[in-house]
Amino acid sequence: MGEGKDLLSALLLELRRGTLTISVLSQLREPKYGYALVQSMEEKGVSIDPNTLYPLLRRLESQGILESKWETSSTKPRKYYQRTEYGTEIYKQLKTYWKNLSAGMERLLKEEEV
Amino acid sequence: MTPKEKDYMDRYIYQVIRRLPKAQRDEVRMELEELISDMYADKGSMEAVLTQLGNPAEFAKQYQNGQQYLIGPEYFETYLWFVKIVLICAAVPIVIISLVNAIGEMPAAASWNTAAGIIRAIVDGLTAGITDALLSCISAFGAVTLIFAVIERKKIQLEMKNAEKWSVEKLSEDRKTAESRWTPKFLEPVPDKKALISRGDSIVGIVFIVIFCVLLIFSPHFFAAIITEDKTVTTVPVFNLEQWGTVLPVFILSLLIGLADEVLRLVVGVYCKLVMISNAVCGIIQIVLSAVVLKVLPLWNPNFVTDLERTLGDKANSGAEFLTRWNADMVSNGFLAFIVVITLLEIGVTVYKTLRYGASVKKGND
Repeated sequence: MGEGKDLLSALLLELRRGTLTISVLSQLREPKYGYALVQSMEEKGVSIDPNTLYPLLRRLESQGILESKWETSSTKPRKYYQRTEYGTEIYKQLKTYWKNLSAGMERLLKEEEV
Repeated sequence: MTPKEKDYMDRYIYQVIRRLPKAQRDEVRMELEELISDMYADKGSMEAVLTQLGNPAEFAKQYQNGQQYLIGPEYFETYLWFVKIVLICAAVPIVIISLVNAIGEMPAAASWNTAAGIIRAIVDGLTAGITDALLSCISAFGAVTLIFAVIERKKIQLEMKNAEKWSVEKLSEDRKTAESRWTPKFLEPVPDKKALISRGDSIVGIVFIVIFCVLLIFSPHFFAAIITEDKTVTTVPVFNLEQWGTVLPVFILSLLIGLADEVLRLVVGVYCKLVMISNAVCGIIQIVLSAVVLKVLPLWNPNFVTDLERTLGDKANSGAEFLTRWNADMVSNGFLAFIVVITLLEIGVTVYKTLRYGASVKKGND
């Protein structure tokens, strides 16, 4: 029983991991700092663990998809992330791909219901 | 935030960043300070925040990407096999030598008749043997691991170079014409059976190298003329043991280069340009080092002949003919010629097999 649960959570994790990049990119046309991103995504029903998000942001930055800037004018320094031009380009392509994928998935899953 | 909560935040951040590369630490520290204080403002309890973030080791793992191992899965099996062989070769001879040593010294120390004397000698020998065997196993393990780690790193560099080429192409606007895309043309032909390098081919070389290394390090005095006379055993070492400290490192280096070549052969597993070049380069270095050991360094015991004559005393007549012929220079030349012939023969076989049957697409070499 416990094994089945572990397997399910591993599969769910895998399923979610693939969607993380595209969901983060969708929110970063305007600069945002990390925790604001966590909250805004949660409000829209897509939750992401901060300990997944922060490393992901760094990785995307090193890949040239995001750029960051430290905002030090207020008392509390914050790091703001935003899509680069290249990141926007990638995002558009991911989005097209996602739409096809989800339409296809929709058809597959409907077939099963009948 | 109370001072106590601030302290917990600092502790948490420290546990994450101490696991990261130095260059990233300062920036990640600032990021985490931002994150944790934002979450704290949201939730109002440091304990809740840190509990949600979870084990800092797991958090740090998310930051680490890229290679986190010394020897990757591709070589791991070969590596294990190698370590086993080398450890056996390093440990077994030492234990045997120590036992032989202990028993050899016994007639002087205790009488052969008492069982207690024999047992004590064996126990002493075993104790010394196990200590030495442990030491030599650790060194052998280190040497093999080092060689494999270097090969692993080199492979990674090559792969990264290829990946760079590929991504530059990918970035250019017309992605579909990227030339370096994989096509079936990239498939290497199945190597001729005669081009495969089997473990059996290498095992003799490896066993020889390791046992020779172990003997040279732990028992150079074993290479000696042993004379038994009136129940006393005298040994006259062949090597110059006083100068051994200068000779040994060069000797060992030469043997280790041979070992590195064997490792590369087995890892690649098939005769190809890379194996051929490695074999030729290692062979030539070994010839040069052998020449240094034999011709330049004080390898031989300079008093070998006189010591032997003195020990033999009046019995010298029987061995006189041999002794007058003992000439360190001649022996050196003989060994050197032998090494050169053997090494060139090996290189020759490798070159022949590579050109005749070798893989036409060189693995990791283009």
